[in-house]
Amino acid sequence: MNPDSGLGGGLRQPSKRRVPTASPGMADPHQLFDDTSTSTTLLGRGYTAQQSPAVGYPTQHSFLAEPMSTFAMAYGSTLASQGKEIVDKNIDRFIPVTKLKYYFAVDTVYVGKKLGLLMFPFMHQDWQVRYQQDMPVAPRFDINAPDLYIPVMAFITYILVAGLALGTQNRFSPDILGLQASSALAWLIVEVLAILLSLYLVTVNTDLTTIDLVAFSGYKYVGMIVGIVSGLLFGKTGYYLLLSWCCLTIFIFMIRTLRLKILSEAAAEGVLVRGAKNQLRMYLTMAIAALQPLFMYWLTFHLIRH
Amino acid sequence: MAFTLYSLLQAALLVVNAIAVLHEDRFLRNVGWGTDQGIGGFGEEPGIKGQLMNLIRSVRTVMRVPLIAVNSITIVLLLLFG
Repeated sequence: MNPDSGLGGGLRQPSKRRVPTASPGMADPHQLFDDTSTSTTLLGRGYTAQQSPAVGYPTQHSFLAEPMSTFAMAYGSTLASQGKEIVDKNIDRFIPVTKLKYYFAVDTVYVGKKLGLLMFPFMHQDWQVRYQQDMPVAPRFDINAPDLYIPVMAFITYILVAGLALGTQNRFSPDILGLQASSALAWLIVEVLAILLSLYLVTVNTDLTTIDLVAFSGYKYVGMIVGIVSGLLFGKTGYYLLLSWCCLTIFIFMIRTLRLKILSEAAAEGVLVRGAKNQLRMYLTMAIAALQPLFMYWLTFHLIRH
Repeated sequence: MAFTLYSLLQAALLVVNAIAVLHEDRFLRNVGWGTDQGIGGFGEEPGIKGQLMNLIRSVRTVMRVPLIAVNSITIVLLLLFG
């Protein structure tokens, strides 16, 4: 139940998705920060550990006395661990690593179910996120919980599929991948900022965090990938057909999910909504959901052959 | 021309500048968005206008000093490489 133990649990189960599950949540952020921030202190250890088979090392080895080098190695490793501690302390201040771990606590069954839900949300009944002792249950145990694994993977896949689509039209060049990624990321940031601003303006009391919003707006990449791939396979009609289906499903999905988060309790339970306040929130929910199809079309239409 | 992260940064800087340049006495008070106007009573939830005024005032207060630095860096960079 503890979000910290989520990845460990995900790792235990043998599955095809296991490797990508572990990499974004655990390996990447830590690896990234360890490498960039402690590179100077790690340098000493790196030489002895990695470059020992290198040509230059034997001469150095004979040059340095044996106890001297062991001492240097110990000194280097203590420096490295000290640096790691400092970095770990400072990372948590700027990036909530423990919170992010919660969003990557997924497993294969969850990912499959969630993708199914994104493609066909009509039959799903219970949209309430479950809580346990004031902590939301990890995505592995609750299909309604927002995760970041699907958005991140879908984002990367979208970039690659976009490159593929441009490649089939002989429009591909390596820098176009970076341009696509930068553009998609910029639009994502704009969308999240716009939602945050409107939530602030309407003074919604909600437990939606910024990471939640990133997760929810990241689910649309799944539909975009489906649209582009069908455009590659079946041409323009396939693209429009499947993209509009995905737009419809993501619209329903977003409304049903955000309704519980944004609207007040009474409205969420289906009681008649009265008052300008609730009406405004309802419009806001609709607007956020209606934003998704626009972005989906805007980010994909230039990739399809005309 | 694609909308990239760089253009996003540029746009954000320009928008923050636009908010910071609004003058309290000369502009905001004239359109009824002054500090002492339109604040709701105690316990009353602020409306959209109240929130917007609050946001403008906060941006003007907080971003004044950082904006000077960021703007001068941008000017120098654009003069050199733009």
